[in-house]
Amino acid sequence: MTVEARKIEAARSRLEPEAMARRDFLGLTAWWSAAVALLFGFLGAMRLPKAAVLPSPSRKFKVALPPSLAAGQAYVPTGRSVALYKEGSQVYAISTICTHLGCVVKATDSGFDCPCHGSKFGRDGSVLKGPAPKGLPWREVKHLGGDNFLVDEGKTVATGTTVSV
Amino acid sequence: MKANKHLLLWSSLGTLAVLLWAAVQENFFRDWRLIQREIQARLPSAQADAFAIQLRQIVSRQVGTTDRCVSCHVGMTPGESGIESNRLYGRHADVVHDPASFGCTVCHGGQGRATDTADAHGAIPHWPERMLAKEYLFAGCGGCHTHLSVPNLAELEKGRARFEQADCLACHKVDGRGGTLRPGGAGGQEGPDLSRVGAYGYKVDWYELHLQQKKKATSGPWLSAFGELLESERTAMDEYLHSRVGAPGLLEAKGLFHTFGCRGCHKVGGVGGDDGPDLTAVGNKDPGQLNFAQVAGERTLANWLKQHFRSPASVVPGSVMPELGLTERQIDQLTLYVFSLRRRSYPEALWPKDRIRAERFGTREFATDGATLYGTFCAACHGPKGEGMRYPGFAAFPAIGNPDFLRLASDDFLREQIKRGRPGRRMPAWGAQEGGLKDGEIGRLVTYVRGLGGVAYEGDSRPRRWAQGDPAEGQRLYGEACASCHGERGEGKEGPALNNPVFLDLATDSYLFKTVQNGRAGTSMAPFGAGSSVRSTLTDAEISTVVVFIRSWEGKK
Amino acid sequence: MNGVAGKQPTGGATALGRFMENLQAVPRRFAETMFRTGKPQSDRTRSTFVFGNVFLHLHPVRIHRWSLRWSTTWGLGIAAVSCFFVLVVTGVLLMFYYKPYPDVAYLSIKDIHFVVPTGRFIRNIHRWSGNLMVVVVLLHMARVFYTAAYRSPREFNWVMGMGLLVTTLGLSFTGYLLPWDQLAYWAITIGANIAQSPREVTDALGITEWFDVGGLQKLILLGSEEVGEEALIRFYLFHVMILPLILIALMTVHFWRIRKDGGLARPADADSRLGPPAAGVYPVFTEAPQKTYSLAAIVKGRTPAVGSGPEQTVPSMPHLMFGEAAVFMLTIVLSVVFAILIDAPLKEVANPAVPENPAKAPWYFLGLQELVSHSAFMGGIGIPMIVLIGLGLIPYLDREIAGTGVWFGGPGGRPLVVRSTVFGLAAVLAVEAFVIRFGWIRQWWPGVPQMVITLLNPGTVLTVFYAAYSVWSLKKYDSTRAGALALFTCFICGFVVLTVIGTYFRGPNWDFYWWPSQWPGH
Repeated sequence: MTVEARKIEAARSRLEPEAMARRDFLGLTAWWSAAVALLFGFLGAMRLPKAAVLPSPSRKFKVALPPSLAAGQAYVPTGRSVALYKEGSQVYAISTICTHLGCVVKATDSGFDCPCHGSKFGRDGSVLKGPAPKGLPWREVKHLGGDNFLVDEGKTVATGTTVSV
Repeated sequence: MKANKHLLLWSSLGTLAVLLWAAVQENFFRDWRLIQREIQARLPSAQADAFAIQLRQIVSRQVGTTDRCVSCHVGMTPGESGIESNRLYGRHADVVHDPASFGCTVCHGGQGRATDTADAHGAIPHWPERMLAKEYLFAGCGGCHTHLSVPNLAELEKGRARFEQADCLACHKVDGRGGTLRPGGAGGQEGPDLSRVGAYGYKVDWYELHLQQKKKATSGPWLSAFGELLESERTAMDEYLHSRVGAPGLLEAKGLFHTFGCRGCHKVGGVGGDDGPDLTAVGNKDPGQLNFAQVAGERTLANWLKQHFRSPASVVPGSVMPELGLTERQIDQLTLYVFSLRRRSYPEALWPKDRIRAERFGTREFATDGATLYGTFCAACHGPKGEGMRYPGFAAFPAIGNPDFLRLASDDFLREQIKRGRPGRRMPAWGAQEGGLKDGEIGRLVTYVRGLGGVAYEGDSRPRRWAQGDPAEGQRLYGEACASCHGERGEGKEGPALNNPVFLDLATDSYLFKTVQNGRAGTSMAPFGAGSSVRSTLTDAEISTVVVFIRSWEGKK
Repeated sequence: MNGVAGKQPTGGATALGRFMENLQAVPRRFAETMFRTGKPQSDRTRSTFVFGNVFLHLHPVRIHRWSLRWSTTWGLGIAAVSCFFVLVVTGVLLMFYYKPYPDVAYLSIKDIHFVVPTGRFIRNIHRWSGNLMVVVVLLHMARVFYTAAYRSPREFNWVMGMGLLVTTLGLSFTGYLLPWDQLAYWAITIGANIAQSPREVTDALGITEWFDVGGLQKLILLGSEEVGEEALIRFYLFHVMILPLILIALMTVHFWRIRKDGGLARPADADSRLGPPAAGVYPVFTEAPQKTYSLAAIVKGRTPAVGSGPEQTVPSMPHLMFGEAAVFMLTIVLSVVFAILIDAPLKEVANPAVPENPAKAPWYFLGLQELVSHSAFMGGIGIPMIVLIGLGLIPYLDREIAGTGVWFGGPGGRPLVVRSTVFGLAAVLAVEAFVIRFGWIRQWWPGVPQMVITLLNPGTVLTVFYAAYSVWSLKKYDSTRAGALALFTCFICGFVVLTVIGTYFRGPNWDFYWWPSQWPGH
């Protein structure tokens, strides 16, 4: 090899060095441990935005039905999203949150109407029309004696579940 | 590049022009600036120099308001006088609640944070709470004085009449009237303004003191204007003076509300029936949520309410509220009262006395004599004189002042009837319910109702149940004579329902028998004991069988 | 040797004398150090000025005349950046007064409107500039697509552009809640429930209990079950911190890649199309280049600039600078004109008990809301994802060369675009007319399983129509580009028509009305 050629070779090796050694154990471990540590930290940090305890008020509440409540007439306690009905001696509760996009439905004579995308529900909360994917869920009601009831907005019961007075 | 240079030049110049215009607008043409400059021009030069053109506001941490109304109504800023004796730009009239510490919107409504006229007065889209118009100004008191106690309206008017007949207005000023004479002659001291004596109180022995003055006087109003008063006159005057708390408009409107029997269907502050919507905060109604299709004029809550009072069903389809046939003045007053139902939240330490009394001790916010109670809860359906109202589109309501009825109905009947109501009908039960009446109140009501007919109970000594007969025969007779008004199964049509459990429980056989026999004068219920050309006479035995048949519904639905 | 280093101290033998001399020279030296290479007066000093300045060095020193033509870009990219710049400035100003807490937020906006000096104007600019940015970003995307500028080597930058589009929409959407009025509250309630809409599918499959990705998304977004103070502070955080940082990061990559990918796309025959250079434009390299670039030695291949004669280039400064400044000022003038003419909307304070009727999302989401009114999942997540993935794949599927850098370039060309417009409009109008006239499956058979509607709703039907038409065009012209042209044009038509219907023709209960004046009182 001439001096010239050796110089060219040296220059090329600088420009295009050999591929990195695959068995650079230390280097690979270092990189991977850094990656794993950061990933783990990232995963841990991502736990933060999901609240462990929700700030919303208790979803169970007591309610006294007005004695004059007629059969088939909805009673919506203020600040709650559930409509209570009394049919004879049976009492039940239907959620008033539209299953489509969470608007507040309005109790009408024929059932419930949603103002946002026109979903209509029957008296038992079943979907009659519109984009709602499912019927309004029924909520758990417990009788506390007299006209007093305990309603759990967070607990869904099968449609048609009533509590007798 | 040339095109770009042009574009750059022209858009920059355009921006500059808009920015300049914005600056001019902001610094010269804002509503409050224009108004303040005008005020400055009208001020005497010494004051004009000291007058600063700047935003002004009243921040009340106590009631939680930030009111910039004083940016235009500068005279009402604490420490400023504005244009002397100018209604808009001068000092605020002397009122109980100093605007300096309570702000403006707490009474007047409107948008306190705004500094443009239209926005501040609330006449813009999406601002629900317009400023209260001048004619509804007293409604502003209702925001805090939620339980302002009102006397019986008739008593109040009587007291006012006495007060005016006795020429008290010669020396005393009340609600901006009177006070023209000086008791000590020209230049003497004016009699005290009595507009707010109900809140501050007055001497118990005012009458004796006045008499002494009269004795001493040799001439002038003490001698000419003041005369001796009867005990009864003084009591009526006291009633009137107690109600002078500085809110005469609201007081009268609220008094009127308590004569139409509105609480029979509506709850206010937890007291009243359930048939209609709770009115406790109805003044906060958002006009944006209302139907204005049938409402003439501007889309304001006031116009909607007025139309609603004229014809409830025209603005609320399916409303079961009858057309009450009100005069325009009454409509205005009721509108004012509705506006007053708007409940601000404010710290308990600021609660007025009547609110504490009402919420802590259960004191009523209305007088609790029989007449007022009747006016408050019953008059809408049973009529102001117990004559029973007939509203278009509704079945007639029972005439409970009817002498034929009262003759047969014992006080116990009336009391129990009020307490238990008629389940399934529009008559609510007033006893057990939370929003119902206390026993004493029901007692006074019963006395009042009896007074409406002016007849005593004519009881008989028979047992509660004595009628006998064949129910099948009774059914036939009932079908012929009664079913057309009371319904095949007694469910009630034009006439009242007879199969009502409470009614069947309370009505004795004698009650039923005599009602059928003698009928009820003034109603469609004819005396079946005496025949007529269109109807055969029922014998006593036949009436008994009908009573037996009616009894057969007892315990059934 | 430049001037600074070449100067020798002349007078003042004493230290104090030299001090005084230096003190006198401070202004001059400050200017010299600032420009480093002397004042940018000649082409050469301007060039060194551009690449010696941290803010300007994103620009090339010389730029092709093709890139400077208005019709090449319509300045839309720069307009988007200008909007962002305006938004940052006005947004930071608004932060002086805005308080992110329910009800207080509303009052603080009222204060900004009524008493903060220039507050109303600044808020209006912020609002309209934000809207303008959405429009401009969408138009920019359409421009890049129709000039086929996404093609190799610019594929990745197209994907970055998609990221910028999504981030822009996110910024606009998160800003929507901040005034805490009825408009905001119900728009966000709907938005948050769209985020929850995967439940529609997981419910239908019966796996929500174990795999509730929809619920999780909503929970992360709102921090609670309904829109409240937690949601407001989160949206604020996204709006003023997280999304702007993401946007800046993406923008940086986007701009850098424009340079690295060889500037703006232009047709291969751009030089001949442009004709001879105008007077005053001269070639830089008249003879064979003498100078070698040592940096190029370690880079394989040829840089994009090498090999194509630079005769049609002009110095960026001042040519490009004028263009950019012009667009920048044009954007500003548009924003301020809107701001002075129309106040930003502010409805009554949010009331969780009374929904707005109709409750409408921001206008650019009303097309989606129209789809959402049939299936929350498909309209809110399914179809947008299909559209985004489809858009992202375009440059990787279209590997053709013909038509790059030319408006409506490629097989089919302008006639195809016209035909696609007609088809796109006809299809969306037909589907909408059918739905408005006859309703949809649920009205005919109320008991139908949700999964059927999720899969078969006006949105998916429209998507299938468009996809089929696109495949047909692809076959007809035997070109992926033709398929892409057809599909993208249809997408634009669908977007525009659905948005217009959602904005102007939907009233209370999302019923169809010809005019808002026909809306029943609610």
